[in-house]
This record gives sequence, C-alpha cells and structure tokens, in this order.
Amino acid sequence: MSVSNLLENWAEFRHTHPVDDVPHDPYKWAMSIDLDACSGCNACSIACYAENNIPVVGKDKFEHGQVMHWMRIERYWPEDGREFPDQGATFLPMMCQQCEAAPCETVCPVGATNHTADGLNSQIYNRCVGSRYCSANCPFKVRYFNWYDYPTTENVWPAEMTQQLNPDITLRGKGVMEKCTFCVQRIRAGERAVKNEGRILRDGEVQTACQQVCPTGAITFGNLVDPESKVHQKWKAQQVELTADEQEKDKEEGGTDLRGYRILEELRPYPSVMYMERVRESAI
Amino acid sequence: MIDNNFDRRDFLKVLGWGGAAVALSGCGNTSVEDGKETVVSYVEAAEYVAPGISVYFNSTCAQCDAGCSISGRVREGRVLKLEGNPDSVINRGKMCGLGQAGVQHHYNPDRVREPLLRSGDRGEAITWDKAYALIAEKLNGVSGDQIDFLTGTVSGHTKALLGNYLESLGSKNHFVYEAVSPAVQRAANMKSYGMEMPRFNINKAKVVLSFGADFLGAWVSPVHFSQQYAEFRKGVDGQRGVLVQVESKMTLTGANADRWLVVRPGTEGILAMGVINALGVAGLSLSADVAAAVKPYDKERVSKDTGVSTESLVKLAALLKDRTPSLVLLGSAAEGYAHGSQNAAAINLLNQVLGNVGKTLEASAAVPFPQIAPTIGNTAALRMVNNRLADGQIKVLFTYGTNPVFTAPSEMKFKENLGKANFRVAFAHYLDETALQADLVLPLDSALEDWGTLVAEYQPEGVQISVQQPLMEKLHPETRGMGEILLSLVKQRQPESYKAFDDYYAYLRTAMLKNKSEFANSAMDDDVFWNGVLSAGIINVGGNLNKLSSKLSTNIQLPAPAEQDAKYPFTLIPSVTANLRDGRHANQPWLQESPDPLTTIVWDSWVEIHPKKAAELGIVEGDIIAIESKNGTINAQAYLFPGIHPDAVSIPLGRGHEAMGRYAKGYGVNPFQILDRVFDGETGELAMHETKVKLSKVGKRVIVVKDEGFAGGAQHGKKIAMTKSSDQVDLSEEV
Amino acid sequence: MKDIREDIAWAKINKDVLKSLESPRNLYWVIVIGALLVFSVGVGCEIYQYNVGMGVANLDNPHVWGLYIATFIFWIGMSHSGTLLSAILHLMHADWRKPIYRFAEAMTTFSLMTAGLFVMVHLGRLWQFYYSLPYPNDRGLWPNFQSPLLWDAMAIFTYLSSSILFLFVGMIPDLAICRDNIHSGWRKKLYTVLALGWEGTDRQWRNFRVTYLTIACFLIPLAVSVHSIVASDFAMSQQPGWHVTSFPPYFVAGALYSGCAAIITLFIILRYVFKFEEYMTLPILKKTVRLTFAIAMVWTYLNAVEFASVWYSHDIASKDVLIQKATGPYAPYWWGMIFCGSVVPLILAFKRFQTNIPVLLVTSLLLNLGMWLERWMIVAPTYSHGYYPWTWDHDQFPSWVQWGMVFGSFGWFTLLFMVFCKVFPSVSMYEVKEMVYHRSLASKKLEVSGSQESVEGAH
Repeated sequence: MSVSNLLENWAEFRHTHPVDDVPHDPYKWAMSIDLDACSGCNACSIACYAENNIPVVGKDKFEHGQVMHWMRIERYWPEDGREFPDQGATFLPMMCQQCEAAPCETVCPVGATNHTADGLNSQIYNRCVGSRYCSANCPFKVRYFNWYDYPTTENVWPAEMTQQLNPDITLRGKGVMEKCTFCVQRIRAGERAVKNEGRILRDGEVQTACQQVCPTGAITFGNLVDPESKVHQKWKAQQVELTADEQEKDKEEGGTDLRGYRILEELRPYPSVMYMERVRESAI
Repeated sequence: MIDNNFDRRDFLKVLGWGGAAVALSGCGNTSVEDGKETVVSYVEAAEYVAPGISVYFNSTCAQCDAGCSISGRVREGRVLKLEGNPDSVINRGKMCGLGQAGVQHHYNPDRVREPLLRSGDRGEAITWDKAYALIAEKLNGVSGDQIDFLTGTVSGHTKALLGNYLESLGSKNHFVYEAVSPAVQRAANMKSYGMEMPRFNINKAKVVLSFGADFLGAWVSPVHFSQQYAEFRKGVDGQRGVLVQVESKMTLTGANADRWLVVRPGTEGILAMGVINALGVAGLSLSADVAAAVKPYDKERVSKDTGVSTESLVKLAALLKDRTPSLVLLGSAAEGYAHGSQNAAAINLLNQVLGNVGKTLEASAAVPFPQIAPTIGNTAALRMVNNRLADGQIKVLFTYGTNPVFTAPSEMKFKENLGKANFRVAFAHYLDETALQADLVLPLDSALEDWGTLVAEYQPEGVQISVQQPLMEKLHPETRGMGEILLSLVKQRQPESYKAFDDYYAYLRTAMLKNKSEFANSAMDDDVFWNGVLSAGIINVGGNLNKLSSKLSTNIQLPAPAEQDAKYPFTLIPSVTANLRDGRHANQPWLQESPDPLTTIVWDSWVEIHPKKAAELGIVEGDIIAIESKNGTINAQAYLFPGIHPDAVSIPLGRGHEAMGRYAKGYGVNPFQILDRVFDGETGELAMHETKVKLSKVGKRVIVVKDEGFAGGAQHGKKIAMTKSSDQVDLSEEV
Repeated sequence: MKDIREDIAWAKINKDVLKSLESPRNLYWVIVIGALLVFSVGVGCEIYQYNVGMGVANLDNPHVWGLYIATFIFWIGMSHSGTLLSAILHLMHADWRKPIYRFAEAMTTFSLMTAGLFVMVHLGRLWQFYYSLPYPNDRGLWPNFQSPLLWDAMAIFTYLSSSILFLFVGMIPDLAICRDNIHSGWRKKLYTVLALGWEGTDRQWRNFRVTYLTIACFLIPLAVSVHSIVASDFAMSQQPGWHVTSFPPYFVAGALYSGCAAIITLFIILRYVFKFEEYMTLPILKKTVRLTFAIAMVWTYLNAVEFASVWYSHDIASKDVLIQKATGPYAPYWWGMIFCGSVVPLILAFKRFQTNIPVLLVTSLLLNLGMWLERWMIVAPTYSHGYYPWTWDHDQFPSWVQWGMVFGSFGWFTLLFMVFCKVFPSVSMYEVKEMVYHRSLASKKLEVSGSQESVEGAH
C-alpha cells in the first residue's frame, strides 16, 4: 500500500463520527438495557467471563484494581441523605458502550482500535502495543488492560481449566488492551451462517452472552437499522437517536414519560447502548 | 433378561418407580436392554461431531436444587459453556451465575481423583475394588440402625437407589441436611395451605410483599422467579408490579424493592399482624377470629415494636387493599428465629386474609413417583445425626452432598462427634472439611460427566424431571457417578435384583423405558424415545395437583421483641448470597471473583454495619472487627452498609473454608461456626438469626477488596443510573 | 565589567579544555560507577517488568499511566535547557552562553534519549514498539496519524535527531582542535573522522556559521512544538483536568522552567568538577538565575490561568479533579508542586541569592523537583477522579518498580554525560576564545584589524 493510497482514502479509513449521510448498512449493533428489570444478580458478568475467556485475577490483583470484568455491575445508592436506602439500590451493568465517535479510537497510536462498518468498536489484540491511551481517554473506563500474562499466571487457568476456554476467542497475553466486543465472535459466526442463505441476520439470531443469560431479560441486543428488531423499536419508542447528543427526554423541562437515555451523552461519544431508567413506585 | 421369579413390584422399586401414584401400562413390556450400549466419547469423534463445530447437549444443572435444565456447548469433546435450555419451564433458557460456574466445578483442579483411604493424616489412593470391599467389610456385622446416611437434598434415581441400598442394609437412617433451607416455611405452608411448597405467581401479582424472601438471589428457584419478576415489573394491564421487602438486612431482592422496610430483627410476624390490623382499619373485612387475633397489633404498637413508621404501615395496607391480587412471601429472615414458625404463620395468615390463595398462590403438582421425588433437607436432620453420633449410635456414616463439618455450628461439636463413628465414608468432589474427617473418600463425577435424574422441589408447571447426561468424557478416569457407586454398593447386598444392570446408565435407561408409556406413546420405539429424552434433557409429567387448602390459623404466639442483650448487643444475620450459598461451591473462582451485588466485595468475608452505628463505635471501612458470640469469635473486615438495621450485623455465609481447594481455602471467615444453638420451637430447625454478638476492634485495618470505588454508590450529580417515579411513566406504551 | 580575564592565552583555553579529556580523576570513576549502579536499578526493574507484566508497576484500571509518562514529560522538559541556551541565546548574541552551551546541548540530547526510554518502558508490549513507526509494509498498516501519541513519537524523534545534529555541527571546530592535539589512539581516529576535515579556512567558517545558524533557527520552533505536542497528549484527550486549552504554552513554559533550573544545577556542578571558575563566572550564573525567575513567574501565571478557567467554567468534572488535587490523596504532592514551582523561585528575586552557590544549588534542585511533581500531578489525579464516579480510585500508588525506573533514569542520564565529558570537549573552545577576544577588544578599545586572523591562528 502506498502513501498516496493512504492519503486518498483517509476519510474512509477513519469513519468514526455518526453521520446520517453515511448510514450503517446492513447492520448497526446496539443495545438497550432496562434498569427497571435489572436485578443486579451478576449472571451476565459471569456469562461474559465464560464466553470471552476472561481471566480470574485473584484477590491481590483485584485489590490493585487489575480486575478484568468486561461487564461490571455497579450498585448505586439513593443520595437523599436518609438513614436507610428505603427505595433500594440501582444496579447498572456497564460495559464498552461501542461509541460511534469513540474517544478511544482516535488516540490509539497504532490504530489497534477501530470502528467497524457495523458500528462496533473493535480491538485488534495483535496490533495493540499497550500504550493504554485508549483507556486513558475512555470516559466510562470500560477498557481492561492485561497487566500480567494471565494465560501463564498460576491458578488463572490451571491444567484442566484450560479445556473450558472458548476456542472462538483468543487468549490475551500481557500488554494488550481488551474490552467488551458485543460478543463479536457470535456476530461474525451468525453473519457467515446466513450469508450462505443470501440474507442478513434476523432479530434474535445472534445474542450476546450477557443477553442470553439475563434472567430478567433486561438486556436487548440487535441491529439498530433493522426496523423489525426489538432494539430498534425500543430506541424508537424512547425517542433516542443514535446521532443526537441530546434526546427528547432531556429537552423538556422536568422530563417526559420517556425512560431512555445514554450515559455521558454530553461528551458526545454517541454510545450504542441505551439505558432505561429504573422506576420506583410513587404510591408507597 | 430378568428372571421370571422377580416380582414386578420389586422391579418397579428397583427402578425407582415404586409406589407410583399413577397407573402403569400393562406388564407385557419387561424386556430390558442388557446394557450393551456404551457412552461414546466425543473425542473419538462420533459422526455427528465435526471438529470446529459446537454441539449443544441438554442436561441438568447440579449447582443447586432448583433443577434448571442446561444446554452445554460441547466442541471437540470438551464442554465449554453452560447455557439455559429454552424448553425448561423452570429456567426457560436462562441461567444464574452459580449455574454457569458449573464448568468450573467440572474442570476444577482440586477435585478428588481417586478413592482415598485414611492412613494417619494422609489419604492413600486405593482402587475402587478395594474401596467397595472395604465398605462391605466395615458393614459386615453392623446392624442397620447403626448405619446412617447424611446427605444433601436428593431426588431422582440417585435417591431411589439410595433408598434401595439403605433398605438392603436394613437401615432407615437417611438424614437429609441442608444448611440453608426454608424448612420452617415448609412446615408453616403445610399447615396453612396443605402443601409444603405451593406455586408462587409473582407475575400475576400487582403487589408483592416479601418478608425476607430473596427470590431474586438465593431463595428456592431464583432463575424462575427472576423471570416472573421481570413480567411483574412490566405489569398486568400496564400496571407495574410493586415490590415491598421487609427485612433487617437488605438482600438482593430488597435492593430491587420499591420500598424496603427495615424491621427490628425478629419482628416480621408482628408487622404481618399489624398489616392485617391496618387492613381491617382500612376497611377490609376480616373474619371474627382474625380480627380478634390482630386486635392487639394496632399501628402504634406495631410501629414501636418493629421500627416501621405508622405512616408506612398505613400506606402499605392501603396499597395491598387497592391493588389485588397481591402475594406475600416469606424467607429466611422471618424464619430464622426461635419463634420462626409463628412468624411464618402470621405471614401466611396475611396472605390468606388478602385472598391470594388460589390466585397468586396456587397448588403445585405432586411428583407422581415418590421414590424419585425430592427429599428436602433441613437442619433438624443435622441435629439428629449429631445426637446419634454423640451417643455412639452410629457405627458407619456415609456423607454425600453436604459438608456438615463446615456448616454445623461449632457448639454442636459435630467434628468431634464424627470421631465416634467407627467408619466414615464421604462421597466427595473436593477434599472439603467433612471429607478430611472421613476414613474413606470416594471421588464423584462432576455433574457434567454423570448420568442421573433430578426432580426439583419447586415445580412451576406440572412436574419436570430433569435428565442429566454426560456432556463429555470423564476428566479423571477414577471418579464415579453417585448412581454408579450406589448401584455397585446395592449389588453387593442384592446381586440378584440388580445383575441385569451393568452400569448406572443401563439402569437409568431401563428405568426410563420402563415408564415410557407415562411419558410418551407406549408404542414408540425404545431408542427413539430414549434419544428424545436425552435430546430434550427434560421430561414433563402432568402430575396431579396437590390439594390447596386455606386454613386460617389464628393461634399465633408472637413474643415481644427481644430486649437488647447488654453483653451481646447485636443480632448476627448470616446472609445467604446468590453465588456462594452454604459454601459448597466456594472453590469456583468465578464465584469468588464475582462481586457481591450489594457490597461489591470479592474474595473475602465482611461484616456489614450500619454507618450510624459504625460512627458510634468509631469503626471505619476496613477495620478488622472481632465478632464474638457465646460460641466463639471470628474476625472480619468492616463494611459500612446502609441497608441493615442498626442493631444487627451481617456476615455472608459460604466463605472461610479451611480445606476444599486453592480458591476456597483461607478466603474469608465462616459465620456458621459462631452460631448460637437456638432452635425453632415448633420444627426444631436451627434458628439462624438468633445469634447475638458483640463487636470489638482488633486494631488492624485493611483495604476492602471490592469493585466499588472511592465514590462508593454515589453518582456525584452525573446522570449515570437514573430513576423515575412510577407516576411519570406509562409502561403500557413501551415496547 | 571585567568578568573573564582577557589575558588568558588562547593556548591556555585549549590546554584547560583538553585537559578535561585526559585520564580521569578518581572522583570521575566514583561518579561513573555510582551512575552505573543507579542505572542498573532501572534496568533491573525493566527486566522484571518486561518479564512479568506491567502490573508490577502497580498501574491499574483506571490508573493506566503513571510515573513513566510523568517522568517522560519531565525529561522532555529538561531537554529544553540546551535548546534554550544554544539556539535562542545564540540568535540573541548573548555571549555568556558560550562556555556552557555545549553542556546544555548535550543535556538536550541526553534528556531526549532518557525521555525516549520512558516511552519504551511504558509500552505494554515493548517488543512491538515499531508498530508506532510509519514504516512501509505490504499489509498497508500505518500508525494512526490522528493520535497525539504518534505526533509525540515523531516530534521527539525529529527533535532528537536535530539536536544531535546541532550538537555535532557546533563541535566541529573543537573536534579539529582535539584531532590536532592528540596524536595517537582511538581518539585520534574518532576526532579525525568527526572533524570532517576541518581546517579553519574562511570558506569553512562561513559555511559553518550558516549551517549552525540554520539549525539553531530550525530547532527553536521544534523545541516549542515538541512540548506543545506532548501537551496535546493531554489537551487533545477528553479527560477532566487534561482537556485544557492552555496546556501547550503551559507545557512549554514548564519545560523552559525545568530546563533553566537544570542549567543552574549543572552550571554549579560543572564549575566545581572541572574547575571552570574562569569561564563559568558568577555574572553568567546571575543572568541565568534571572531568566529562571522570569520563567517561573510565567509558569505560575499559566498555572493560575488554568485553575481560574477551570473554576469559572461549568465543567464540574474538571473542577472536581482540581479540588481533588488540592484536598485528596495527592494533596501533599500537589501543594509540594505549588511550593517548589511558585514559592521557592521567589528566592531568586533577591540579588544576594542570585550568586549564592549553595542556595542556588538547593533552589534549582527544588525547582526541578517541583517540575517533576507538576508532571505527576498532571497525569495521575485525572485517573483517580475521572468522569465516571464508579471508577474513582484514590488508593493507587506507584510501586517500587516505577520508582526504580525513575531513579535509574538519572543514572542513565549521568552516565551519558560522564562519557560525553571524557570523549568530547565539554566547553566550546572556539566560542570561548571568541568571547575572550571580543571582550578584550571592548575593554582595551583596540582596533579590530587582524583579529580574525588571530582567532584562526590560535588553532
């Protein structure tokens, strides 16, 4: 590849910002998470460990903040200053938001993290040199770095446990960044499967591991540009626009009856995950 | 072929269908395969195994007793991941974290790999032949009533074989022990509804009032209830279900409640009576004896006793009256007292008064085959075995599926008493605390290598018999399935009756085929039927519904709330967490590293203290606190937790192993040890919440290892996890 | 003002300087061995970190950057001393720079080489560092030209090569002196090659002047750009506390500041070690000190600008970071930075301290400590208190591995310096002669005629 080619096609190499004139076609993977359904049980997080070969780092490394959970469940208390949290807690599953204008992508010196045509924020482990700039610039701090060589670390995957590893996923060695991929291996396998039939994936044919396992069905995943998909319908019903940086819900003073919002939207990363507010009964 | 002189009824009993409440088909079909089939390894690629292509096999999750059907992803002969079986009425394709960690149980590096015979302090590997011979030798001359089995909850054909083996030994001493089990509630339900475990339709209720039932976390069948809960939140006719949780220590379910009412420990029954009283005041018509029974529980008194404000009480009564049907649940927080049965009775009475019986609380189906129906454990069993051990009544003790040395309160001196038995056999996956005390340890297959059937106690629809089949070859050649071992043992005693079965697989297949007509068309080809069973992983049997009765019992004796003990001012609440339960799976690293949902602590135990109380005592997060009860002291790190009554402290169960494996040993402390020996007056169950403790600082401080950061659960004005009041949304318009 | 004895014979200048190349004193060896030991601590840490993983540095999520990046910026800042003295002052005809600029230039080069090491040891996969270079390859893989980190790599590389060139070109006449005065051994060969056949002809001098001036002109914008680009690593990001428009000038000021402070330190040390009291006079020191004071005030002003703009903006997150810096676990370091960076330099305003060697030595070291703290306080607090409260982490502290490498880097820097001192003339002979000559002209009011010839004749 010549430098001239690089310069000519620059815009295509780095199509990051969500623009309406370059629509996603045929896929734009997105999610919707209903906080009113989420019970905080952590099943999704463990499913993620199982699906994506995430190492268990152990107590010492967890203490040093070197845990690798791509999906973490955050627990928030009401901040009303009352003695007891008598409206319970709020649980929030947080993973890579697959931002359309991802702050992590522009800063990687080697281009190891990129936007794919179907709207995923990809991470190329082989290309990563471990500068960790992406994590530094991630507002959600959902990128996890391999501080150690976990595959060879004692008691991470002792002898028999290696047999459990998902062969569709690489094991990450020390020094590379990793994060939630929306289970890209499942998406790609699904795409390949339907390609033979000459069609595109239908809603529900690909599930992420977390979505599949969630006992309360709080996680919806699918193709945002497919009008038939549940995720499309949910985004539409909540009037959340992928390419907007302020949604209907926030435009009106005092809010509307909409529940959909995206986290840290004001920073304009254009996340692909819509959250739906938790609801608490007013009559009690 | 079976000998003709073999009695048909005995034969059914051998196969686990004995005493069946259903009519069985004609006696023509007695031919049995003689076990020529072998389990083909997926490694020796069968024609349906294509390298690089994953195949899914259905089986049953054995991590708890809820009986979820799983679908294991198998590739190149290795099981990779467990997913839910969508056809199962229990879990409908969903899983909990505990269930998914089943692969880590299977691949666990600390599993026992060969039979071990005690030789001094060490275990010496022996052959199975020798182990069986040894058991036969040790049983020789021991009378049946000196042979005991102490097991966890058992069901299916393992239970049938176990029963048959016990009978062959002439023993009736099968004690079923579960350290955390809603046993008090079962007894109370039996009285109130005529069945131990009715069906709870959370999804049909508009209000769920739960007295400490952690149905989203660890109570009865959490994956099933979580799905019901999701429907409940979406609501009937767009009216979102309201969850009110009453407890002294916030559980996962409490954290999801619309209103979490903190009560003084042990006053749950008083609150239930108070709610009935308030309902009467609000205009609900109460029968005369109920009205009389709740008369003393006016809102002022109840408020004073429980700590719940009168305003909350009135609002709650109004809500329950307005929105019907509702559902009242009761869990360990209400059961765990000396008056636990009374609490339970009061709470059940509330359900009855609200008219929920028959609506949101329905009759469950009876398992038509008593031999394979689950025998549910309780703590009274432990007490009985312990007494028998102490009295020297047990010569030979078998333990299976339970770890009493870990879970028995130290005051019971179970470990000491265990030494009084002549010969102790542990069927074990790990060298856990109990196995370490055994003379003979028999290594078990993991649930993913074994054949079996499992029948859950809680049956949401009809009766689902969950079938367990190996998802892969044995990892360790010298482990055996429990069924396999029992078959070998029972063959020692009654070789004639069981000689037709080469192995447990043959036994199980024969048993299933024997009842083919019950499950399918009797004309169906055996192989087709059998393959269908294995493919589905479940068999659904209609099962006759139990008879639901609603007996109003107003004879409820609730003691006044206990005065604060000057010496031991705190009530210890040993909390049951969804992932670790009673600690039997503590050696699965995913579970250790999965943060506790409420505190986000990993890899360690902690003691929850209300921030206000902690400030009084000068305790800050990470202080090592000595928690002292009458029966001992344990040290744990302090965590300031707003969701707990200031007079209570809570320590999670399941950690603090001294043995078991690299991921369990040495992490955390075991609150079972310091429990006071108080029992429920009626059922004799260990009253788990009756332990009183005092706290003192040890003078050491550690960094609490948790996922939560410096900001704790605060958002600092950032719109991250947002909440809306229900009157501001219209859920019916949502997709 | 008679600050250098004009009657120093030019031959004595040669002799003095060349003497510094001769067999070292014991102290030299002590310093070299000391530096080697210090450096080997850093090497040991790096070997450990390379083998085990970055985790041993006690970095974590979200603290993905730590002392490596902070110290990297620190060394980049140090590099500015040389450029400042050689290029800027050269253009401004400040002749007092002449005795010391060679050191300063060497410092530029060595600081950059040290800074480069930190970029390397910071990488999670050091063995793949070349991915960040735009080398042609048939897979069409290019680095990401949008990334400030890539600009960084390029800017540093350009700056490093330019400053090596500048150092070398400026040394050519002196290398010729060395070549002519040393008659055997590897030095002779080395100087012969490096002197590039210098004979001191008019044409050579003319070309030399032009070349030197051109590189000097080229280097000044580079010096400004390299630190502006380092600032972009932060300013171009979206993080609170980093996303500050004033960062590029702030970084340049900080760099000049630490550069000046380093010059004072080195000036004092070299003056003592090499007994250069005759050339490195107190009035020169005084000028440097005054310059340092001025820059310190500029830096303080820019700091105040940053705080003020954060304060009156409605950027809550940035404000939180600022408050955390002042009150959180980093408070001692942050206040230390304010103290060392803004309070300590006030001493320099007093005339009697401007030539007080012990006070100046301590002050200059404190200033650089402050500057190092500044870099750490830019990098670390943003991580512990970013946009996302759940990930706030105030418990992180660099492990001994990080400290070891920071420590080791001083050994590496000293080592390079010590080698340089003995291989190359560390005081510019021809420029000192020029200076002596010009001054003697001025004081004795002599005619200019014949001077050019004499200067050349001194070789």
